[in-house]
Amino acid sequence: MSAHCHSSTPPAFPPRKGNEFLPGASHWPADLSRREFLQLMGASLALAGLAGCGRPSSEKIVPYVRPPEMTPSPDAAWYATAMPWQGYARGVLAKSIHGRPIKLEGNPDHPESLGATDAITQAAILSLYDPDRSPAPLRDAQVSSWEIFEREWLVRHSDLAARKGAGFALLTEPTTSPTLLREIHALLDAWPEARWFQHTALPRYDRDGTQDDFDFSAPDIILSLGADSFYQHPAALRHIRAFASRRRSENNALRLNHVFALEPTLSLTGNQADLRLGLTPARIGVVLNALSRALEGDDLDSATAALSEIERRLVRECSALLRENSRSALCVVGPELPGEFHAWADAFNARFARDAAKKKPALRSDGDQRASGGLGALIEEIEAGRVSNLCILGANPAYTAPAGLDVAGALRRVAFPVHLGEYVDETARECAWHLPEAHFLETWSDLRAYSGTATVLQPLVEPRHAGRSAAEFIHTLRTGESRSAYDLVRETWRAGNDSDFETRWHGWLDRGVIDAVSAPRTRTPSPTATATASFPRFPGEMAPRGVTVLFRASANLHDGRWANNAWLQELPQPFTALVWENAALIDAGLAARLSLKNGDVISLETSDARLEAPVWILPGQAPETITLPLGYGRTHGGGVANARGFSAYILLGGSNPWQRDDVRVRRIGKSATLVCTQGHFTMEGRDLARSLTASEFAKAKREEDPAVTLFPAWAREGYAWGMSIDLGTCFGCNACVIACQAENNIPVVGREQVARGREMHWIRIDRYFDGDPAAPRVLHQPIPCMHCENAPCEVVCPVGATVHTSEGVNDMVYNRCIGTRYCSNNCPYKVRRFNFLDYRAPEGSPVYLQSNPDVTVRERGVMEKCTYCTQRINAARITAEKENRRIRDGELRTACQQVCPTEAIVFGDLNDPSSHVTQRKQERSSYRLLGELNTRPRTTYLAKIVPDSAGESPRAQESFA
Amino acid sequence: MEPADNRDPFRRPLFTARATHAVRLALVGLVLVTTTAGVSVYHYYHSPYWSRVGLAPDQPVLFSHRHHAGELRIDCRFCHTSVETSASAGMPSTQTCLTCHSQLFHDAPMLAPVMASAEKNRPLAWSRVNTLPDHVHFNHSIHVAKGIACASCHGEVADMALTAKARALSMRECIACHRDPAPQQVAAGDVFSAHPARPDAAARLRLPALHARPLTNCSTCHH
Repeated sequence: MSAHCHSSTPPAFPPRKGNEFLPGASHWPADLSRREFLQLMGASLALAGLAGCGRPSSEKIVPYVRPPEMTPSPDAAWYATAMPWQGYARGVLAKSIHGRPIKLEGNPDHPESLGATDAITQAAILSLYDPDRSPAPLRDAQVSSWEIFEREWLVRHSDLAARKGAGFALLTEPTTSPTLLREIHALLDAWPEARWFQHTALPRYDRDGTQDDFDFSAPDIILSLGADSFYQHPAALRHIRAFASRRRSENNALRLNHVFALEPTLSLTGNQADLRLGLTPARIGVVLNALSRALEGDDLDSATAALSEIERRLVRECSALLRENSRSALCVVGPELPGEFHAWADAFNARFARDAAKKKPALRSDGDQRASGGLGALIEEIEAGRVSNLCILGANPAYTAPAGLDVAGALRRVAFPVHLGEYVDETARECAWHLPEAHFLETWSDLRAYSGTATVLQPLVEPRHAGRSAAEFIHTLRTGESRSAYDLVRETWRAGNDSDFETRWHGWLDRGVIDAVSAPRTRTPSPTATATASFPRFPGEMAPRGVTVLFRASANLHDGRWANNAWLQELPQPFTALVWENAALIDAGLAARLSLKNGDVISLETSDARLEAPVWILPGQAPETITLPLGYGRTHGGGVANARGFSAYILLGGSNPWQRDDVRVRRIGKSATLVCTQGHFTMEGRDLARSLTASEFAKAKREEDPAVTLFPAWAREGYAWGMSIDLGTCFGCNACVIACQAENNIPVVGREQVARGREMHWIRIDRYFDGDPAAPRVLHQPIPCMHCENAPCEVVCPVGATVHTSEGVNDMVYNRCIGTRYCSNNCPYKVRRFNFLDYRAPEGSPVYLQSNPDVTVRERGVMEKCTYCTQRINAARITAEKENRRIRDGELRTACQQVCPTEAIVFGDLNDPSSHVTQRKQERSSYRLLGELNTRPRTTYLAKIVPDSAGESPRAQESFA
Repeated sequence: MEPADNRDPFRRPLFTARATHAVRLALVGLVLVTTTAGVSVYHYYHSPYWSRVGLAPDQPVLFSHRHHAGELRIDCRFCHTSVETSASAGMPSTQTCLTCHSQLFHDAPMLAPVMASAEKNRPLAWSRVNTLPDHVHFNHSIHVAKGIACASCHGEVADMALTAKARALSMRECIACHRDPAPQQVAAGDVFSAHPARPDAAARLRLPALHARPLTNCSTCHH
């Protein structure tokens, strides 16, 4: 195959040579001296000897007294519910075994899931069992109870009722929950003098009462302006699924779209562009001015006179494509960018988008008429002395408030501040009362998806602690009485005298979506721009004022609410591969000017705040900019969250909260160690993650089957499992990594262990910077076990602990493994993971409740790796054999395949010529990773295919480091 | 040959004859002791004592399979409801006992723990008779579907007054059948029978077949 990769060999970034394991990988843990070790060894040997002699002890079986209403199969019960994601619903199917929820999967019937989920949704199950969740109501940090709170509230309640709620304020996060909003509105109706404020740490998706609704499958051209429509957006899963349908070859046919991106910092969406420029927002305006002129018919040369070579190329290519009348185009804008960009995009979409861009009434309560404003308005109200009772629901303003808003000080001025939340967090500590909130898998609720579809959230378990839902809490505040969330939700959806309600209710619970009465009754907004409107112009670029600092939600922790989730902390961040902390992402030019290298600490100062942060040089970052990921640096987030990285919220502020130009940046001479799981940036001239232009693809021939081998061939009877991973649609969202972790009981090892190269993820996403250094792109490549037919690991194991099965899967037998690590040394793909220490959670930890009972929990000294989800293969085989048939294609999906929003991973039987995976492997872009080693991997890849124009990029041999 | 000159230090044996004998004896002893220890340990781990075969653990209720399954001929699936659908056979809820015992013998002292469980809504805690290590994943439903009778592993439960473990359930036993399951298969109607009949050659042809034969792959049971 004439595939070739666009890699470059940077002189400035020497490849890691010599030691295969990172320095320190074979060292003892720092806090274990040799003497202590010998003592422990002696003790464990003695105990092992004693334990070995004893007979296995007898266990107890505890059946039900009365079996539940519908006795589900003891193997697994599935419930359709939804996860709250930025106030919107993301439909999930939750798997419960013996009453323990253990895994979330996407709900195929839900429009914002379509069967897929993302990394955060996958990790949400761990938070259910978080030992740091708030265990009980606290009164002035002393353990109390709901009953005492209710008694105390009754006194205030009668007082407030008499004053029509004067002095009462409610602070919530914006939500789409019809029941919660109904309760809030009922409270405001009962107490007209009460005030309701909303606070969200992150940008809103509504403007002027409308929200955008995009179809990414229709347009031939997509222009992204700082948008992260594929990862951070509430409809991200739907967007990327539609987009991916245009980025893959099917039966060797292509329907590629063209994607351009202008963005200040690398996003998973912008990285999908064929031509992506890292520019400051002001510079993006300049380029758009040129594009506007080109589209309005001006001469291209004069329109682009002020632009650089590569900017001119973007305007030229983009306008040329747009002038072809048959094409439709879509422009998407990040919510962090100021309004003029949105106005430009509206004009663009009115002209080119046809039906791909629609405006719909905003669903989330950001713009609710009854609300009195945001956090700033609340603090003004408090400082004016008009708030005596404040109830904070879910939000954590003490952590997420921008600079200049003294939340802690304001809360001290409130006589009776109450906090309802899942954690005793920064805000809870400033309140007189903290009350535990129920997790979304513990209570009844309802939410709307971004598309408007409503879902009833149903509980899988009783609240672990005394948690209550937000709607229950507001009901208690309003009436002084408690009512179950179940009744409240049903009351919302019971339309009058509905005799058929029970049937419909059960139907909704069954499918996970409420169809009939779904659409909220609001008028459709009128279009703001017409097809003939001219493009608004941006002010020219100001004289450079210094460094631009940008604030963005972190990919893993979002606004910080997931900071106590160890899976997400240990998940390598999409472009940096950093774990357990954030870093100031800095442009290489700026870093060179300040003589900074990775890990050097800078000081960021404004008139009212100062922050110290280590830097990480990120290719593709706009010149003279620094991006600060939000969500880290918690002080009271829990044992996992606290003191990881820095909190950038303290620098937020100003007219445009997501960008600041008045920050003084200087080097302070200190340096910090950042932990990164992939220290090399490029492919070092090798052919690992391949990409092809459309014309190269047209000329490509299918890769030949490998040469002869000395090993005897395996018999191909029964099933032959294999996998194909499409690099054209994998966009590096990491969902598969966490899905695998949740499915296969993969432990978390901690920052220090990752620094020694001991991370345990069975599937990792390698990322390679590639292409023109002025407009680099990142190729993401998921690497699970390749399940080689000539597996190098199998022949070196002295104890037969890794063996080939008759179905071609490379089995790992934990009980045979004695920990020589020969297999890992001989694996060219480095997918084997070794339990250097006992990484299991401490005995008695609630996180064991999340464990998948179908997968053995591994102990110290044992090698492990991807098994192709052999427990799922077995389950599917058992189902099929019981019905006396073969496993059907598509019936069996691995955890990584099931979660993938773009369907980039396909798994199945290679002996079945019609199976999806066999079809995928017939594509001309299919290739084997390190095929020259003749390992004959069962996991193969499809090269990324990009449109021809993007192939013009000069492949300069410059450094990315 | 010249007699050895005992005074010549280079000709004199290094050790006395007694010491040499003692060492020889010790070497023989060592071999004997090691062999005996090895054989003993082997037999200990394969003895019914270690595997608890034949042992009926104490139970909260003196439940008799002989009475219920043998004399009354209640089907296994009446209590072990999920044996055909799921990995675990399922243990009867207190409610299941009360199907009959709310009417029959409800005030018998033997049934007092059952009545107490129903009254106080506190489950009975049975002692496990048959157990497998955590790294073994056994599925009842597929074995039953492929014609492996309950009695193959659990023995003649219908004859047991107190339920005892019938077989060691060691990997050796599992793998012997997984290598060649056909001799163990019985006709579908006989799976739950107390004394399943061995099918003859003609009947064997009608037994459920396997679509693949991966039964000796490690991952069939270990994952």
